[in-house]
Amino acid sequence: MTTLTRQDLNFGQVVADILCEFLEVAIHLILYVREVYPSGIFQKRKKYNVPVQMSCHPELNQYIQDTLHCVKPLIEKNEAEKVVVVIMDREHRPVERFVFEISQPPLLSISSETLLSHVEQLLRAVILKISVCDAVLDNNPPGCTFTVLVYTRESATRNMEKVQVIKDFPWIVADEQEVLMQEPRLIPLKTMTSDIVKVILILAKKIH
Amino acid sequence: MVTYKWLSLTLGVHVNTAKQMLYHYLEQRRKEKSGATLHATYLVSGKCLENGSMCHKVSVVREEKLEDIKSKLDMTVSIHVYSIQKSELKDSGPLYSTDYDAVKENLKNCNKYSAIRCAAAVPVSSGQLQRAQEKVLAAAPDTEGSKPGLNDHMAAASKISVKQPKGIMGMFSSKATPKSEEYSKEVKTEQKDDASPAEGAKTRPSSKADALSKFFGKPADKNAATDKPDKNIKEEVEGALTSLSAVSKTQSHSSPEHKQSIKEELLKNSSAAKGDSKDTGNKTKRLEQSDSEDEKGESQKTKRRRIKQPQPDSSDDEVIPDSPPVPEPQTRSLENEVKKEPVSHQEILEGKRRKRRRVLKSKTFLDDEGCIGRDHFILCTFKITAHLNHESVERVTEKGYESESYSESEDDFKASSYPSEDSVSLKQSLGKREEEKKLKEKGQKKAPAAANKATKQATIFGFFQKK
Repeated sequence: MTTLTRQDLNFGQVVADILCEFLEVAIHLILYVREVYPSGIFQKRKKYNVPVQMSCHPELNQYIQDTLHCVKPLIEKNEAEKVVVVIMDREHRPVERFVFEISQPPLLSISSETLLSHVEQLLRAVILKISVCDAVLDNNPPGCTFTVLVYTRESATRNMEKVQVIKDFPWIVADEQEVLMQEPRLIPLKTMTSDIVKVILILAKKIH
Repeated sequence: MVTYKWLSLTLGVHVNTAKQMLYHYLEQRRKEKSGATLHATYLVSGKCLENGSMCHKVSVVREEKLEDIKSKLDMTVSIHVYSIQKSELKDSGPLYSTDYDAVKENLKNCNKYSAIRCAAAVPVSSGQLQRAQEKVLAAAPDTEGSKPGLNDHMAAASKISVKQPKGIMGMFSSKATPKSEEYSKEVKTEQKDDASPAEGAKTRPSSKADALSKFFGKPADKNAATDKPDKNIKEEVEGALTSLSAVSKTQSHSSPEHKQSIKEELLKNSSAAKGDSKDTGNKTKRLEQSDSEDEKGESQKTKRRRIKQPQPDSSDDEVIPDSPPVPEPQTRSLENEVKKEPVSHQEILEGKRRKRRRVLKSKTFLDDEGCIGRDHFILCTFKITAHLNHESVERVTEKGYESESYSESEDDFKASSYPSEDSVSLKQSLGKREEEKKLKEKGQKKAPAAANKATKQATIFGFFQKK
């Protein structure tokens, strides 16, 4: 039974991997549920032993994967505070924001007793919640697009520029227009706490 | 979201009580007319005439479609509330997710509250269970050994396997209804059978067949294939095993594309039973190609990631020869067991795999251990991962020129990233693979550019030589 501590690079990688997989599935699911793209491009696949909808469109998949690939090093070092999926209308004004607040407990060690299946279970719950979130949401106007924002702690972005990965897939500082929503209504959807990671999903929607 | 099954397991009540609870709640809330609107799904079952035969259809439908479905059925046997949720469901996935955890916790007695009973469904003794498990593991590399309970309770198994595919499929497409018909047929046939060890093997192929037919959309074939008496299944399983070992010997060059084990088992059954392939040529090819795959991994109980996408086949169909000596290939496959994971990663490069195999056949490359010939692919993968360090320095230069031309095609694959699910569980082999890639890239720069189409196939295997 190996025990990994925070200092182990492996630990950070494991958590980052888990989170990035989860975020990928979550983003695909959000795109499906909110009808950002026509449902024809989605295909039912299996994740955490439940069916989820994933897109088959290669460019979309590539975009999402590149995005998460860049986010992964931030999560490894625990520098990513929030990952936000923003749904914007045609004029690039945010309509909805799905905020994933990610935090990792500082003094932490995982052992094989921390069953990953427990984490799976919790992530499954978050995914289920996304699937039914349109109960509280109105339909989006047509022609919506999405974007992914990452809020980092301190000044992690300065280091990011040096990373090769970022050079191939450049990130820019987000416009205020895209970031701020006027008078949003916040709806916490799901909190998931486990030994290795804590994820809170909050939905912010514009009040019409 | 609340399904009746979840409610019954959570509250510890009989399913019929749960269904009634849901119904009353729905009525009450709708009468109040305040608050959020509730959506409901219903489970409808009844008889209808289809393709000239009377069939029993069970489907889960949204409320709007309820009347529609009812009118299609000649005789409606039952309707009840399946689930209630606030949001309008686009997709049946969440219905399954809701139940998943509750069912998992009560796996052994998840049918405690169910209304379906079968006197013949008694838990098999552990000895019988073991035998059944061995057979199933030999026949299909299914790694769901964690659910032996499902095999024990036929009623439970058929109920659950029927329910899940129904839930997933019953909602939208018109294809769903013929399939649900065949599931209910299977429920009946299963219930008629006596409890025996073969049941364990049969229930699994049947429930797998359900999932499989979903993917292929050919209910007629699958239904016929699975509605067999026990004896037949037993024979098929054994016959399949010997034919598998045969195939692995002579067909090591065919593309062992990474299919679901379900597919393999089912195709095996159908082709073995029917003599010649009643299925389309495609499926037979898949069977043959997946057989060698099958043989390598299956009896070794290694968990491997199954890639769901059906893969394009071409050529390479060889008739499965008669059974050669069984023990020999099996021992060989024992050696290969450990190497299953890196091999499965290779399979992700779909079409390329086949080419790689062909290369080996034509080339007689010098193996340290002097293994030449067709089977060497199996042994070579073993060697490659085992002797990462010292082995093929010579090979780097030999195959150097080949790897150059490989890069063209390889680049395409680099762009398509690996399924992200790989990272956690197959981290190690992925790490190895990335090493391979890096080494290959370095090798390419040194190698002379001798891009040649004929050697392109060679390069793909050359990729694996260079460590």
